[in-house]
Amino acid sequence: MISLTIDGKTIEVTPGTTILRAAEMAGIHIPTLCDHDELTPYGGCRLCIVEIQGFRIPVTSCTMPVSQGMVVQTNTANLRASREQILSLLFSERNHFCPFCQLTGGDCELQNAALNEGMTHWPMFTSWNTFSVDTSHPFFVLDNNRCILCRRCVRACGELVGNFTLGVAERGIHSMLVADSDQPLGESSCISCGNCVQVCPTGALIDRQSAYRGLEKDLEITPSICIGCSVGCGVKLFTRDNQLVRIEGDWNAPVNCGILCKTGRFKPLEESRDRLTTPMLRLDGELQPTSWDEALWAIVDHLRPLIGRKEDGVAALASTRLPVESLTLFKSLFADRFQSSMVTSVEEGRPTGLLAAMATELRQPFEGRLDSLHTADCVVAIGVNLVEGHEVAGFFVKRAIPRGLKLVVIDPQPNDLDPLAAYTIKAVRGSDVDILLALQAAVVDEDLAKASPPAFDAEKILASLPGKTGLQVRTIREVARLLGTARQPVILFGKGITARSDNETLRMLIKLARLIGALDEDHSGLISVKGEANSLAAAQLGLDQPFQLNGNKAVFVALGDDYPSQRLIERLEKAPFLVVQASYASPLTEIANVVLPVEMWAEQDGHYLNLDGRLQLAHHALRAPSGAWAHRTIFTALADRLSLSISSNWKEELYKRVPSVAINEN
Amino acid sequence: MSKPKISSDWMAGCAGCHMSLLDIDERIVTIAELADIRATPITDLKEPDAGGVDVGILEGGINNTANEEVALRMRSRCKILVALGDCAVFGGVPAMRNFFTLEESLRRAYIETESTDAEGKIPNDPELCRPTKVRGLQEVVPVDVFVPGCPPDADVIFYVLSELTQGRIPELKDNLLHWD
Amino acid sequence: MTNNKITIEPVTRIEGHAKITIHMKEGGGVERAYLHINEFRGFEKFCEGRLYFEMPSITPRICGICPVSHHLAAAKAGDALAGSPPPRPASLLRELMHMGQIIQSHGMHFFELAGPDLLLGFDADPAVRNVIGLIGADPELTLKAVNLRKFGQCIIQILGGRRIHPNFAVPGGVNKALKIEERDDILGGIDEAISAVQVGLKIIKEWAEKNQEDIQKFAVFPSGYMGLVSPENGLELYDGTVRLKDSAGEQLEKFDGQDYLDYISEHVESWSYLKFPYYKKMGWPAGVYRVGPLGRLNTVDKIHTPLADAELKLFKALNNGLPVENTLYYHYARLIEALYAVEQVRVLLEDQDILSTDIMNTCKDYRGEGVGVLEAPRGTLFHHYWADEDGRLKRVNLIVATGHNNWAMSKAVDSVAKAYITTSEIREGLLNRVEAAVRAHDPCLSCSTHAVGQMPIEIDVLDPDGDLRQTLRRD
Repeated sequence: MISLTIDGKTIEVTPGTTILRAAEMAGIHIPTLCDHDELTPYGGCRLCIVEIQGFRIPVTSCTMPVSQGMVVQTNTANLRASREQILSLLFSERNHFCPFCQLTGGDCELQNAALNEGMTHWPMFTSWNTFSVDTSHPFFVLDNNRCILCRRCVRACGELVGNFTLGVAERGIHSMLVADSDQPLGESSCISCGNCVQVCPTGALIDRQSAYRGLEKDLEITPSICIGCSVGCGVKLFTRDNQLVRIEGDWNAPVNCGILCKTGRFKPLEESRDRLTTPMLRLDGELQPTSWDEALWAIVDHLRPLIGRKEDGVAALASTRLPVESLTLFKSLFADRFQSSMVTSVEEGRPTGLLAAMATELRQPFEGRLDSLHTADCVVAIGVNLVEGHEVAGFFVKRAIPRGLKLVVIDPQPNDLDPLAAYTIKAVRGSDVDILLALQAAVVDEDLAKASPPAFDAEKILASLPGKTGLQVRTIREVARLLGTARQPVILFGKGITARSDNETLRMLIKLARLIGALDEDHSGLISVKGEANSLAAAQLGLDQPFQLNGNKAVFVALGDDYPSQRLIERLEKAPFLVVQASYASPLTEIANVVLPVEMWAEQDGHYLNLDGRLQLAHHALRAPSGAWAHRTIFTALADRLSLSISSNWKEELYKRVPSVAINEN
Repeated sequence: MSKPKISSDWMAGCAGCHMSLLDIDERIVTIAELADIRATPITDLKEPDAGGVDVGILEGGINNTANEEVALRMRSRCKILVALGDCAVFGGVPAMRNFFTLEESLRRAYIETESTDAEGKIPNDPELCRPTKVRGLQEVVPVDVFVPGCPPDADVIFYVLSELTQGRIPELKDNLLHWD
Repeated sequence: MTNNKITIEPVTRIEGHAKITIHMKEGGGVERAYLHINEFRGFEKFCEGRLYFEMPSITPRICGICPVSHHLAAAKAGDALAGSPPPRPASLLRELMHMGQIIQSHGMHFFELAGPDLLLGFDADPAVRNVIGLIGADPELTLKAVNLRKFGQCIIQILGGRRIHPNFAVPGGVNKALKIEERDDILGGIDEAISAVQVGLKIIKEWAEKNQEDIQKFAVFPSGYMGLVSPENGLELYDGTVRLKDSAGEQLEKFDGQDYLDYISEHVESWSYLKFPYYKKMGWPAGVYRVGPLGRLNTVDKIHTPLADAELKLFKALNNGLPVENTLYYHYARLIEALYAVEQVRVLLEDQDILSTDIMNTCKDYRGEGVGVLEAPRGTLFHHYWADEDGRLKRVNLIVATGHNNWAMSKAVDSVAKAYITTSEIREGLLNRVEAAVRAHDPCLSCSTHAVGQMPIEIDVLDPDGDLRQTLRRD
């Protein structure tokens, strides 16, 4: 430990701690602008300067590590004057129009820094040079007039997301934030994750959707979980008077530590579908508004005779955007009480089916956790595209590349991660089994196997590789060496593996994992991204079989706020009696016999089981319109009228099957 | 002992700071008791006393030759000069004109605008002042007290006036200091 | 040839900056008087390049007395540009804020800006002929005036977080709903506000009775009249159709504000930075018209609230149903509108949707061009924006309230100067009357020039040889 004195206070900290962090620990606040908890220190704004005894000039506390016996002053008269000077330079260098900025009056860190120094003005005359405003991006605006070149956005784009779109061009007074080689943002490599907007301290990066709708002090902030996919990032929902204003990543959330992708941050604010606010019943061929009572009884009348009819009774589908509590009631009602054999999710088990079966076969989980990506030195991405979906998992991979992570992408099609890969294995479609077998063989042949090898003829397998796949043996050997010598290899896979009709590829993958030490008694580096928010929960509840109508007399779709696929709509067109429980109007509700309006994602409370088994609670931040009910209220009301008792013991239900990844309730 | 004299004027602003002053509501009676209010845009005296006033308050930045004269005259006739509001402090919203040439701005307003008829022309009568670059007050004359805000809150203005009329320089901090 | 000129600089107790030059005839009397609006800021140019959704925050800085007018007009133009019509509760709330503004602006003008002339007299000592002087002369009345303005300002503050340059309306709606305790708070102040306006009405009616000679002599002239109306041609200050009448009171046009360019043009004179709007079909200068309280009450057939409607009937009787042309009756009309605004606050607060949280339409059907029209306290306000597909403004056109009255104010100045300055003896009180001709219109010159100008007053009276005969200075 190192002991030092700051403003007369002596404290002890671990070596490598910066003076800034040490001061924080001692309860001393040093003003900063370019510093950010989640980003590497930059030392660019100079606001955090401190005086150190024996040093000729003040130094930036954010970059200076402590040393034994250091004596630091953070608030001398000279430092205060310097801070005012620094802020004056910042304000006069560009054009800061506090009067009409979206952040003025509390949310601007630059303005707050000046107010904290008691500044009533800046004594340097503003230059009134012109600076560009980039309006090309659909979700946010970059106003260079307000930029202080703190590079938080540049660091976020690189360090947090691994995209490296943003940078600073030119030098000195001509320095300018640019995208790629000075492309308009909307035409650049930007992936619209918006993490730059979240970290920007001023109004330089402005979110279009929330502009002028309230400062943080006007808004309610509800921590919750994003249900855009199965990664389950922690979010903060900013609302005002029952309007959703903005979504930010929760820096304290264990899964994502504050970062989000466009699906979680921006897309939900673009909701433009018509909200359903009253039940509807088809009478004389037309859907008419009706009361809850009428609607429920109409359903009950149709469904009651179907209790106990396994094959051609009621078929039921639920969206995996529903929380576990609701999925449990759904399953209990239709699978357990109605005893229908066709109760599943709209994902139909494609992301999870093979996984569940494998877990049952192995009698234990076999997948690992997402945070292994933070320490992995080698990642294989097979049958998955982390740019189209599950983007935050993709960020974990992308941002590790500069620190030395080696990526291998196995995909017959062009994969968005290809440019970052050390090796891209593109072979004839359908040859995954051959590739994986060849990799196993190469690992064994190179004497790098960490588990007992299967009984095969490695040389023969390798020799037949080019013929079967068109790949070169040399490439496979190189990849095998990479995997075999990796300290912590991770294998990421997705629907390319799990949506198959047989589990041969999955078996091959597991065998390879064992051989390279990515799967053993103590740990697993195998991670499948699964599908939507509650994919895994649906699998645990057995809601993972393919959907098929077998002359079913009725179909119940608990859609929630999900979008019905064209394929689903087509298959249900001929359903004799269709009930749709949805938040928004859609082509599916249009063909329904009964429509039940229900809460959307931000209005519900409930648990979600993310792709690596983490059980998380989503909180409501909005109130549903008075005519819309909660999923669980509807299921319970139907059960009551049918005199069926359904189980709400969702926790028990979740543990009934062996999960492919251990459930973590922390 | 006679009451201190206060005079104010507005230049390239919007009158919002003076309206915020009126937002002190009934406290205007207190101010009238503490000070002798001389020339202001809402009183009928037309210029600050030639013999001088104690406190001169200017709202708005300088964006033409007439404003320059007003600023110079107020500075020469007051002991303490207050820059009231963001326009006086740094130029404010009107300073956005600095990103265009005067010619462009005048042409747009008096010739190009869609509702201006075919005989549009840029006004140039000698009775009219000439536009200039937009500047904060401190670029033209030395300023003693800066009161930022757009506009500064009524409570801020009341505090500033009551301090100045009692012979003290106001210290703006915490909830009396805001730039928005 | 005369080079005899009186200059009044600045015109005080108005918003903005004006200068009057009075050109004397040989032997006394006025040849011609001019109202020079002497400043220019250039909002129509410097807003180019900003985002359309920033305009509800930028344009209020055109004027600190009626920032709400610009705030709401900018939001309405944004609604149209983005294709996001606001839900009904949002429109009600915006109108509520607008009524708050009408009350504070009209109240302040009558009692604090124009009031000193009416209550203390045109010829009173300039040193006390102001709101401070009113405190001394009638503290109780001044307090009523202050509280009336406060009532209006507080409505704005409750909704928009602050009294001046509030943050409330955005394209597609508003950012805050009204809480029940806030509604009750405002309702609690209505009776007192009505009583304050009625005190004002009593004052102006008594003054008018005693000063009929002035009323008939002071800037009485024909013109057209324009304002927004409801479908039944009732007074409408927030959302209506534009109605234009001729000097005989006959309707010339009734059009959607979006189409204003088909009906209104602006004329430029070299001697003023304020342009002169006029009715296109009749050309310049035949097509001139007046807006604001007098203009509006001449344009409408009725007012939808009872107390104000009763007053309107009295007002219309002043010229037997024909348009009222006396400039000094602007003060009376202003108070009638203030009365309507207070009554309308109650109507809005009792609407079943006023507490709704359905305040925002975030869906867009992007058009890229939008016009926002409403009645500012001083007249019809037009905000017209053109933006590219990214929402960046390419062009901005503003025709602001007082601007429509530019011709009328110039005419009034000329008329009053000629009527009252008949010899070569110039008294300060006479000059004040010339200023009062401008004041009656309650001009917002910052608004109308999207700029502000001001000048000191010094009057040099020169004889026909150009020698200085008399200097009047207002200190």
